[in-house]
Amino acid sequence: MNWNATRLASDDNVATALQDIAAGDAIVVITPGASIELVALEPIGLCHKIALSDIATGAAVVKYGQCIGVATAPIRRGAWVHVHNLRSRRAQPA
Amino acid sequence: MTRATFHGFLRADGAVGIRNHVLILSVTGLTGPTARRIGRAVAGTRVIATPYGSGLFGEDAELQRRALAAFGCHANVGAVLVIGATPPHVERIAAAIAGTGKPVEALILDECDHDAITVTERGMRIAARMVREASRARRTEASLRDLTLGMECGRSDPSSGLVANPLVGCIVDAVVAAGGRAIFGETIEWLGAEHMLAARAVDADVAEAIKSAVLRRERQAVNAGLDLLGNNPGATNIAAGLTTIEEKSLGAIAKGGQSPIRGVIGIADTIPGPGLYLMDAPAYAPESVGGIVASGAQLMLFTTGVGNSFVSGLAPTIKISGNPVTAGRLHEQLDFDASDVFERRASLHDAAARLQAVMLEVASGTLTWGEILDEGDDVISRLGPAL
Repeated sequence: MNWNATRLASDDNVATALQDIAAGDAIVVITPGASIELVALEPIGLCHKIALSDIATGAAVVKYGQCIGVATAPIRRGAWVHVHNLRSRRAQPA
Repeated sequence: MTRATFHGFLRADGAVGIRNHVLILSVTGLTGPTARRIGRAVAGTRVIATPYGSGLFGEDAELQRRALAAFGCHANVGAVLVIGATPPHVERIAAAIAGTGKPVEALILDECDHDAITVTERGMRIAARMVREASRARRTEASLRDLTLGMECGRSDPSSGLVANPLVGCIVDAVVAAGGRAIFGETIEWLGAEHMLAARAVDADVAEAIKSAVLRRERQAVNAGLDLLGNNPGATNIAAGLTTIEEKSLGAIAKGGQSPIRGVIGIADTIPGPGLYLMDAPAYAPESVGGIVASGAQLMLFTTGVGNSFVSGLAPTIKISGNPVTAGRLHEQLDFDASDVFERRASLHDAAARLQAVMLEVASGTLTWGEILDEGDDVISRLGPAL
């Protein structure tokens, strides 16, 4: 039982932390396919999200196989994905 | 095979109650304190008291009447004492409740010399007789098809979409497959997932109703200059790991399972038939749960990430969390600990079978933490201004 994160759909570019993860920790992501291994660039709290690949500014952040918003800054693989670098596409002022 | 029966109170109109409340129903704000005094004085009663009254008009007046009558007609209610200020309003609601065949009596300020003490004295005698009579009722066997489930999530976190909501979705699919009913609301939490709900609609009209309900709320937020970030998801959701309304919605809709969506109804509208329905309603838990219970749900399945003590007063509310930290903290709030699914020590399928067993026990009379701790309330949304 060495996994500590989960990816919900095979095209998701973020995973959800199943434990508190410290910077430098190895992350083992359970996925619908084979597991993925990467290194945490920063602390990731329980239930928070980790980028599984580099995500460019303006690119879709995908969870549940669906777009949950767009990156507002470049996000590196292993980084924490949260409200500081992810923004909704909906209910935005015209 | 998972057990699929429970013991409930068969009503004259064919509905099955899972509780047998004697309800003191105050239909105007003027009589609320009197109703609560009677409730405190007579053990075995529940009080619902609206703070509003004659200033309401249009949609709001209609919603109040509909919801107050619906609370009285509710399957979990065995008898009702209606208390109000003026005859037509009280009589209209009492008549609607009497239509279900259950005992109903009315007290009207106009007919009690406008004296709260007189209302209290008469009300205590009526309520006491109703409680004694209600206590003679016995439960009989009923099945999943007699259930109307309401689903709610409150103080969600990413574990809600991962574990607790999909788990509730499994129960919903089982109840719907057995011929029962299920409903969830919180329209703003369909935003970003409405295409997935619309794809499950039974026809194009229902799909359109889903999408237009979401668009209307989205426009309201934009027109009000609201940033949903910090509102929904709120600060607690965000601290717990949720980021955007899309992420929250995609997790939230999992509590509706995979069943076809048969229609979209308004707040406190009666669910038209078997199957899964949506309610176009506010997401705030007291308002959402109030509307869902008024629509006929006898039992609420309420998921939470970090904890939420609010429950319905009329409908036993089963609190479910998959967050291991929350489950380790809220022993007297959570009725079902799903953290073993989060930690992958149990499958969703096995946990769903256990949750169904807990649900049927509660339906048969086992008390929820919310009932034991008296956290229940039943409120009605407001839509617009009053005169």
